[in-house]
Amino acid sequence: MAKTTLGGIEIEVDEDGFIQEPEKWNKEVAEDLSKLEQAFPMGEDHWKIVNYLRDYYLKYEIAPPIRMLVKQTGIDLKTIYQLFPGGPAKGACKVAGLPKPTGCV
Amino acid sequence: MRIEDISKKSDQIIKIRQSDLLPLPYPYNNPEKDTAMRELSSDQRERYEASLDGVIGVGIQRPSSKAEEELFIHKFLSGLAKLFEKENNWTFLHPLYHSLEYCVKCQICNDSCPAYIASGRKEIYRPTYRPEVLRRIVDKYIKKKNRASLKLTGSDIELNWTLIARLGELAYRCTLCRKCTQACPLGIDNGLISHEIRKVFSQEMGIAPKELHEQGTVQQLKVGSSTGINPRALENIIEFMENDIEEKIGRKIKIPVDKKGAEILLLHNAGEFMSWPENTEAFAIIFDAAGIDWTLSSETVGYDAVNYGVWYDDIQLARVATRQAEIARNLGVKKINVGECGHAHKAMIVVADRVLTGDLNIPRESALPILRDIVVGDKIKLDSSRNNFPITLHDPCNMVRLMGIVEPQREILKKICPQFLEMEPHGVDNYCCGGGSGFAIMQSMNFPDWRSAVSGRIKLKQILEVFQDTISPDVKKYVCAPCSNCKGQIRDLLNYYNVWDECGIFYGGLAELIVNAMIDLEKPFIEWEWH
Repeated sequence: MAKTTLGGIEIEVDEDGFIQEPEKWNKEVAEDLSKLEQAFPMGEDHWKIVNYLRDYYLKYEIAPPIRMLVKQTGIDLKTIYQLFPGGPAKGACKVAGLPKPTGCV
Repeated sequence: MRIEDISKKSDQIIKIRQSDLLPLPYPYNNPEKDTAMRELSSDQRERYEASLDGVIGVGIQRPSSKAEEELFIHKFLSGLAKLFEKENNWTFLHPLYHSLEYCVKCQICNDSCPAYIASGRKEIYRPTYRPEVLRRIVDKYIKKKNRASLKLTGSDIELNWTLIARLGELAYRCTLCRKCTQACPLGIDNGLISHEIRKVFSQEMGIAPKELHEQGTVQQLKVGSSTGINPRALENIIEFMENDIEEKIGRKIKIPVDKKGAEILLLHNAGEFMSWPENTEAFAIIFDAAGIDWTLSSETVGYDAVNYGVWYDDIQLARVATRQAEIARNLGVKKINVGECGHAHKAMIVVADRVLTGDLNIPRESALPILRDIVVGDKIKLDSSRNNFPITLHDPCNMVRLMGIVEPQREILKKICPQFLEMEPHGVDNYCCGGGSGFAIMQSMNFPDWRSAVSGRIKLKQILEVFQDTISPDVKKYVCAPCSNCKGQIRDLLNYYNVWDECGIFYGGLAELIVNAMIDLEKPFIEWEWH
């Protein structure tokens, strides 16, 4: 595992840039991650998605299904791709500090 | 290049060049529309073995000392020896032995391999290359054949760290689709040889792609699912599905969970809950409408049909299959039906037969014939004009070639899809989606590029060919893939080549098409915006 500096703090990341220490995540970390994901500067909708993902993750220890994310935030998939060019799983989840999605998803 | 070159140190045995790849039909006959694979970073190359083809699937770390290097070689050889011992490999010893002994190297199998053909016939991907490397290692180091005679017959090989590491990666350039096995006049199973190499790496050396092992079977046994869905999250997702169903069809359905004594325990690939809940919703709608007595399980492992062990580790396979069968037994269901997941069909219905005995030997079947009986038997009212768009069918290798489940899905599509078109070749002669044996979920470094650019390329070619008459993006088209793994791979293929924008091709499962044709639905069930 490699270490990198995000939001001024040193954090472990995996091969594909997902942070491995979710407890170190904060707004500054998210903003630095968004730069790597071509999602900077982060506007209201970016935060709406990131906060929803984050809250769901803290509650259920997993990212929500994409359909649920779209329904609950009211932001359609096409817009999510515009906001996070990497897409909901590889882009938005990364910025929200979630681990990389696993399994047949 | 020669077989023995695999042990000779070099930067990279082959280089995948865009110009060598299998040509694609319109609009991808224009090289500008093609997509180039990402190169590894120098840091990734330094840390992991990448000298096979410049791609990293497994991520084998370089040894930090001579002792570590020697231990690696020792573990490989002792593990390899176990493959030929009845007590250690009673599951696959016989077909492995047969496949190593009797190949006459006629090369008739070559054209079956999606990776070999699409790569522009790179020697290392030839379906007989990998087995021949293993055969030579076995002859020299396990059977200890006379070295002078091996040299004389030109079948010598030098075992070293480089060879073993490259062979470990190479075992993950075969999708285990077994089309080569089908082509072989002697039934030599080259796919099994890849599987057995993976087994030595996992069971004896502790090396496997993390998506299959750590985040796969290990996570499934610990948390409940390889997706990370725990029972609490499942409850939340089921509630979401019930609400979604009500919105879509205008009435509420209670999804049965842990219903004791139900006729059927339905096992879905939990990836469906995460990425394609419309598939699991469709099953609930159809089963409800047809009056099927069924249930899901909320027990850990009981709500995820996947069993990645079938791709790389017999012990993990047995652990998962046993747990799933225990859950079915405890629920007192009459049988287990596996939803739209190909490898789970193989693991649960075929391979698990060797480990599930006594009261764990519960009848295990595919869900496809149930869907067929409902549709063809007119158990629900359907209107085929609702599916009036061009549709083709992808045949998941495990269901179709391996198990012979060929017709149920076709009988359904012929009845409810007026513009159903067959790809060529199809049925048991199909080509793999390129995501088989775990590839569709291996998402790290540049492996996703390889499976879109190389192993999946022939499937893309087939899809484009079948839709050539309506290739304009103005005509929406649907690839039906009744398997989660294939569906994930086809989604990634379509994205990699920007196929929705270029050609209007979408993908999805089988059950969704049935619900889409139900006459009492006010609006279409299939939502094309999820491309």
